[in-house]
Amino acid sequence: MELDFSILFLVWPRLLDGAWVTVQLTAVVLALATPLAVLVAVLRNIGFALLAWPLGLVSATFRGVPPLLILFIAFFGLPAFGLKLSPFAAAVIAMTAYMAFYFGEVFRGALLAVPAGTVQAATALGLSPLRIFFRIRLPQAVPSAIPPYISHATEVLKGTALTAAISVPELSGTANQLFAVTFRPFEVLLAIALIYGVLDGMLLTVQHLAERRFGSKVWGR
Amino acid sequence: MTIDWALLAANWPRLWNGFLVTILLSAIVLAISTPIALLLALGRGSKRWWLAWPAGIYVNVLRALPALVILYFTFYALPQFNLPMAPLWAAVLGLTLASAAYLAEDIRSGLLAVGTGQWAAAKALGLSVPRTVLRVILPQAIPVILPPYVTRVIIIVKGTSLASIVAVSELTGEAFALTSITYRPFDFLLAAAALYLVLTGFLAALQALAEGWLARRTSRPRIVAGALGT
Repeated sequence: MELDFSILFLVWPRLLDGAWVTVQLTAVVLALATPLAVLVAVLRNIGFALLAWPLGLVSATFRGVPPLLILFIAFFGLPAFGLKLSPFAAAVIAMTAYMAFYFGEVFRGALLAVPAGTVQAATALGLSPLRIFFRIRLPQAVPSAIPPYISHATEVLKGTALTAAISVPELSGTANQLFAVTFRPFEVLLAIALIYGVLDGMLLTVQHLAERRFGSKVWGR
Repeated sequence: MTIDWALLAANWPRLWNGFLVTILLSAIVLAISTPIALLLALGRGSKRWWLAWPAGIYVNVLRALPALVILYFTFYALPQFNLPMAPLWAAVLGLTLASAAYLAEDIRSGLLAVGTGQWAAAKALGLSVPRTVLRVILPQAIPVILPPYVTRVIIIVKGTSLASIVAVSELTGEAFALTSITYRPFDFLLAAAALYLVLTGFLAALQALAEGWLARRTSRPRIVAGALGT
């Protein structure tokens, strides 16, 4: 069978629309899940068992269930509580919920890797706990968190493809609709693979810049 | 909002069948992708560029794409080349292609943890490459590979839920179908979540056991390893 890439000129605008939804969804989920993940990591870290235990259990539950199933539960289940959600909103809620725990593990590990001596020194100097966290622990945790953070961020980007299953008009869902219109799935898939590649590349560029900015100035690097 | 246990019990056989399909799908995908991943990992570390380049390109391209897009390729695009596949086999092929790429990276990091001196020593002793890999490198690399390997296995098991999108009746697919038939928003999806947790929890427990066993085994002094200066 011969390939016909000219159909891409026809469907190009729709693929761009889909890519834009993918970018928006990725950005919103990252913006919401990152601070939540820091909160989860801190709450599991402060040595208060009554909080750490249930949070650890919830975290393990969310990380033990397929993301696709969590999307379905948010999209079909939440309306039963009277929450009428658009597919995009349901996708944001579901993805934020599980990514907060995946990112939470990243930050927890990074915070644990901060040498205890620096915190003890700061305590000895009489800094307040909040100040110690934001000025001593967090800045030292950031460099070691960057590589796993970005690799999880690409998981968010790739994970947005799942939301096609709850009819979010992102890149993969748009492609799926175009299969039926064009009868040329291969050409359409090659095009969206390229777009995903470009978006992945952008995240890796961010990692490179972030490592240059934060990597060298901090203790232990 | 309560769970209708009678309805759940009545439809349990379908859910259970989906669970078994999920296990079967995971097992097939892992059984095929693990040896491929080992070959990819060895290829990437090879001095021969015609082995290292294709392996590197494969691993990096496949890991850049959403697994769903890879499944779309095997399910929707292959028939375009007169290669129609049953949903289950399209899912097996797509998930295997993706899993092999991810597993290759996990295995490669373990292989890198074995010192280059081991390769040199094996070569000096006249061992063939397959023998070196199987008898010298892998036995030392497996304890390093095992934890990330099982973590990846858990991700792959969860990833089999994507097969429901290409019409495979595995656990997520069955739970979704029962949800649409019965109009019960939560029951079957939560039951499926519980079954996934059993499966992933079992794997996590297995991981902890294996790590404990390997830690005990490798902490024992071994004459051969000592003689090679490790």
